[in-house]
Amino acid sequence: MGHSNWAEWIYVAVVIALLVYVGAEAWNIENLIEHTPQDAEIIKVTAQQWLWSFEHEDGTKEVGELHLKKDHAYKFEITSKDVNHNFNIPEFVVLMDAVPGRVNTVWFSPNQAGEFDIQCREYCGLIHYNMRAKLIVEGV
Amino acid sequence: MSKIFQLSIIVATLCIIPTVSLAFAAESAGEYIDRKAEIWNLFFRLMVVAFVVGGVIAGTMVWQVWRFRESNPKAKPTPYEEKGEL
Amino acid sequence: MVLELKRARPVWQIMFSTHHTDVGLMYLIFSILAMFIGGAMAIALRVELFAPGAQLIQDSMTFNRLFTIHGTTMIFLFLLPSAAAVGNYLVPIMVRYKDMAYPKLNAIAFWMIPPAATLVWLGMADFGWYANPPYSVISAPAPAAEMWIFGLKILGVSSILGSINFVVTILKCKHPDLSIGKVPLLAWSFLSSSIIVLAAMPTFAAALLMLLTDRLGATGFFNPAVGGDPIAYQHLFWFTFHPEVYVLVIPAIGMMYEIIPRFSRRPIFSHGSGVFAFVLLAIVAFASWAHHMFATGMTFTEKTVFMIGTLAAVPASAMHVFNFLATMWNGRIKFATPMMWAVGGIALFFAAGAGGVVNTAMPLDFITHDSYWVVGHFHLFVFGTIAFGTIGFFYYLFPYVTGRMYNEKLGVVHFILAFVGACITFFTQHILGLFGMPRRIYDYPEIDTWISMNALISVGAMIILVGMVIFLANLIYSAAKGKPANLQDPFGLGGKYYYPYSQRNPHHGEGGY
Repeated sequence: MGHSNWAEWIYVAVVIALLVYVGAEAWNIENLIEHTPQDAEIIKVTAQQWLWSFEHEDGTKEVGELHLKKDHAYKFEITSKDVNHNFNIPEFVVLMDAVPGRVNTVWFSPNQAGEFDIQCREYCGLIHYNMRAKLIVEGV
Repeated sequence: MSKIFQLSIIVATLCIIPTVSLAFAAESAGEYIDRKAEIWNLFFRLMVVAFVVGGVIAGTMVWQVWRFRESNPKAKPTPYEEKGEL
Repeated sequence: MVLELKRARPVWQIMFSTHHTDVGLMYLIFSILAMFIGGAMAIALRVELFAPGAQLIQDSMTFNRLFTIHGTTMIFLFLLPSAAAVGNYLVPIMVRYKDMAYPKLNAIAFWMIPPAATLVWLGMADFGWYANPPYSVISAPAPAAEMWIFGLKILGVSSILGSINFVVTILKCKHPDLSIGKVPLLAWSFLSSSIIVLAAMPTFAAALLMLLTDRLGATGFFNPAVGGDPIAYQHLFWFTFHPEVYVLVIPAIGMMYEIIPRFSRRPIFSHGSGVFAFVLLAIVAFASWAHHMFATGMTFTEKTVFMIGTLAAVPASAMHVFNFLATMWNGRIKFATPMMWAVGGIALFFAAGAGGVVNTAMPLDFITHDSYWVVGHFHLFVFGTIAFGTIGFFYYLFPYVTGRMYNEKLGVVHFILAFVGACITFFTQHILGLFGMPRRIYDYPEIDTWISMNALISVGAMIILVGMVIFLANLIYSAAKGKPANLQDPFGLGGKYYYPYSQRNPHHGEGGY
């Protein structure tokens, strides 16, 4: 097709090399974080317009608040009762869509104690902007 | 040429450190992978790449725009200007 | 000239005309009008977001409607028609033909747009320009949703008709002495983007129809309560709209291919590379759609496939950047307004692309998905690249359309304000996204970092606004009272400068283009 100039070929080779690097690193890290540990406690997360409710393995229910223990592993099973929402704990980079008719999972282990925000990250209507909850991580 | 060399040094460093750390994967603190640390680590590494490449491209453009502007005392007509078919 | 205000042609003559320069003019005027309307909505949004609490907009529903229609207006009513304006005006000239292949169809494609726009603007739907179900099916108020759906249906058909015209004109009506390889790159950009539209648009047309029948209760494609799958819509939507963003950017790059060689006084470094990159981009555009869906619960393998598809499109764009830089090398560059916009556009194009690569690295999507990072990223594309290329090209076309020169100093001021404003607004939005602020929110909690960044972003938006007001004033004043331009070489570049076969508008007397 007529690009006979060596500079352009080298440039394209460098671009492709960089993209391969990006792809490989991303693949590596995704692989690493997707491995749910066996002993992760399951927390059912239910999104609805416009609040979050949670259910622990032992049946304890919480609305608008979630109490977890530091350094334990938790696996969220996320769904919605009405429209699409997205369960997001920005501090711990937990993010997953809550889709009605489907259960999505994501796991994490909070390594910091304290109070953190939970917010909705998928437009869901009137009070999407204030569909928030509190994550309270207890422990030393 | 030297720019490409410098770039490859940076990229090699960015590859070696995480590879080495993955090889020694027994996390020292706690049993579980720190999701937040892994993801932000990747982010910052990619930012280094993006800013280095961006610096090269933006630097080239700024230099070019300065050197080849028509008001530059060193500016000379291009070979195509006489011929007329641009 | 088609718009000679001193000897104004009867408006009905332009409106009923099917000549490509008149249809191009109508697309041009409509797209500029839509740009200002969409821009006004953006300013309203930014005033509201300046600080937490209600400022300008007292309820979240109004805010939601505004961001939905802002997005819809800018994409469908500004960017697509402005590309059509440029294409209509120049493609026949570039292929040395007397008009578009189907002039009447051309006019019809244009005239479908004002009624569609009316439906969209009067409806003011609130579901975001993606119209994702189930919200758009079970929760979005009528009649706004239906009006939006019908409006977009009509716009889709208009786009398809325009694309058919471009493809046939370029492939079948080009002059017999002009080989396809020698067709200018701007024409190639219209050929590529039109082929993408023809392949991608029907999927969205289907999705819109399915959305409508779901809303009517006749079907349950996307409503889980009756067995549907909301994610299916996202596949259909993004299968069209990822390629569609290339439809938006490719003509703007084509416009830069017109401006940069001319103002550098050198031919394009590699015409062949440009053609190759356009064709490659058009093909690879179809391989990446589900990178918009990384947060929906896709499997690792699915995400990997689409990450690779996304990365595969980067070399083609990188080839264009190389081409531009190599063209300017050893040139003698006149930095008139169009050239400034084109070069600024390339710089922001790179920044936009780099941010996109970060998004597609799968784990990083967990940081950036549906946050202000994404808003900053795509605005660097649509404003920083596409609008910059388009506005620069409007300045370039100005003497041909009006026979007069715009005010150069005001053009430079406009550029500086737009570039500085864009950097302040959109780079800060990237950082705001990293700090966790979601998009499409009417109000936000009193987090100090969010407050200060939002204020800065709003200031940046105001800077862009000032530039745009100057632009409008320049356009109107210069069209009526600007200095008459030397139509052989309006920018003083020297050398033969335009296509050898230019058109005469049949309604115009002597000198008409």
